[in-house]
Amino acid sequence: MRFLFKSSQVLDPHSLLSQNEGCIHLSAHVNRKGGFGIDEPFDAALGGDRVYGDKRLIVTRTLRPHGLRFAGEIDATNSDAVGECLLKTVTLQDQDLHLDVSALIFCDISGIRSFVEAAEVRKGGRLMLHGLPELLQTVMRVTGWAALPKLVICGCGGPKP
Amino acid sequence: MRGAAALHSEQFRHEALLYSGWAEFVTGTVPFIREGLRASEPVLVVESLEKIQLLKDALGQEAGAVVFADMAMVGANPARIIPAWQEFVSFHPGRRLRGIGEPIWKGRSPDELIECQRHESLLNTAFGQGRPWSLLCPYDTDNLGSSVIEEARRSHEFVNEGGTVERSNVYRGFEASGAPFDVPLPEPGTGVLRLPFAKDDLVKLRGLISRQARTAGLAATRTAELVTAVNEVATNSIRHGGGAGSLRVWQEQSVLICEIADTGRFDQPLVDRLCPAADLSAPRGLWLANQLCDLVQIRTLAGGTVVRLHMRLQPREPRLHVLPNGPDQGSTDDN
Repeated sequence: MRFLFKSSQVLDPHSLLSQNEGCIHLSAHVNRKGGFGIDEPFDAALGGDRVYGDKRLIVTRTLRPHGLRFAGEIDATNSDAVGECLLKTVTLQDQDLHLDVSALIFCDISGIRSFVEAAEVRKGGRLMLHGLPELLQTVMRVTGWAALPKLVICGCGGPKP
Repeated sequence: MRGAAALHSEQFRHEALLYSGWAEFVTGTVPFIREGLRASEPVLVVESLEKIQLLKDALGQEAGAVVFADMAMVGANPARIIPAWQEFVSFHPGRRLRGIGEPIWKGRSPDELIECQRHESLLNTAFGQGRPWSLLCPYDTDNLGSSVIEEARRSHEFVNEGGTVERSNVYRGFEASGAPFDVPLPEPGTGVLRLPFAKDDLVKLRGLISRQARTAGLAATRTAELVTAVNEVATNSIRHGGGAGSLRVWQEQSVLICEIADTGRFDQPLVDRLCPAADLSAPRGLWLANQLCDLVQIRTLAGGTVVRLHMRLQPREPRLHVLPNGPDQGSTDDN
């Protein structure tokens, strides 16, 4: 039972974090001589293309790892645009898609729904969330979206500044 | 001794136990538990820690077969109790079950009390047409007002009083249990901030709540939770409540209250307390608000829907219920 039998698991926000399996940060840390390091932001050297921007949100493409970086706020005013970004700009369906959400300072349920939808339509690869703020982890847990097979909440903490 | 009303009906059975003192509590609950155990029925008891200990002492070794949970934690926000019973029922498919739950005690605030009473009615809506199982709800007649006991007679189909079980002649019934809740909410006093809002005002709304919470001294984590919850309710107004709404924020003693009003009609009585379905389109906003806030009050009034979200400035630690006599007074053995 969510509230009685499994309460210790439910109350611990870290319980839903993955064991970093497949995390680009951890693998980079292990093999840092061969590639970008854990201390580097997502493809900082490459400079991400902006794929969406409004007064409160900027979305940029990341190439290493393959994915998007979100900075700002997602709510009812722009969550549809976020969904379109996720579905249209990321076409490599058989690879893991990495989302750096460490600079997301607010995200409502409609924004999280966009992430979940993008994960569910993936054909092969998973959608990995890096640096998801603790409150959003709680929101995903209580709304039933924390244990989806194609959506991984990575415990890496996201890229270091 | 139980009355003529058969316990093993083919329906959900919701029974109020009116007790006075520890001895009546024990004699009203322990046989109910033992009957269930002897019939191999799973039994869940959601009570105060004091009463859980009392029942464990009375049941002896049989207590090991009972699942106990602290109502002060499970029911801190009364809207979280039905999900707990839902999980209990789902956890034991195809089996008869028994539960004991006492959501109302003397220390409940007036706002909590009325939401507990709404919860008791909604139990009929949630389970009244589902699996047959029995839920016994003790009411402490020494410490609860007569109006609370009268409401218990309206929200429970059966009432156990003095060892006799009878069908309540004022039970409001299945249909009325889930009817729109229109009990008026008290108007706030002074110091109320107001903000009419539409879609483009959400960021302003979040900023206002955040500043008020910080000024009131709410901790950062709880402030973020309150902002998230209010934003979801306001988003419901935008999407389903006429495209706009109005926010009021004020403080009552040590509680920060945010109210969202709109012209929409709230017609799904359980939408805030049923665990969201897996599909993407299932509503989640009010459910989330109940998980994040200390209390959520929803009213369907003539002009639309009002939702009040309460956040205590200091989170209340789970505490024990208060009974007039200590557990050492009165019998703890039903033999």
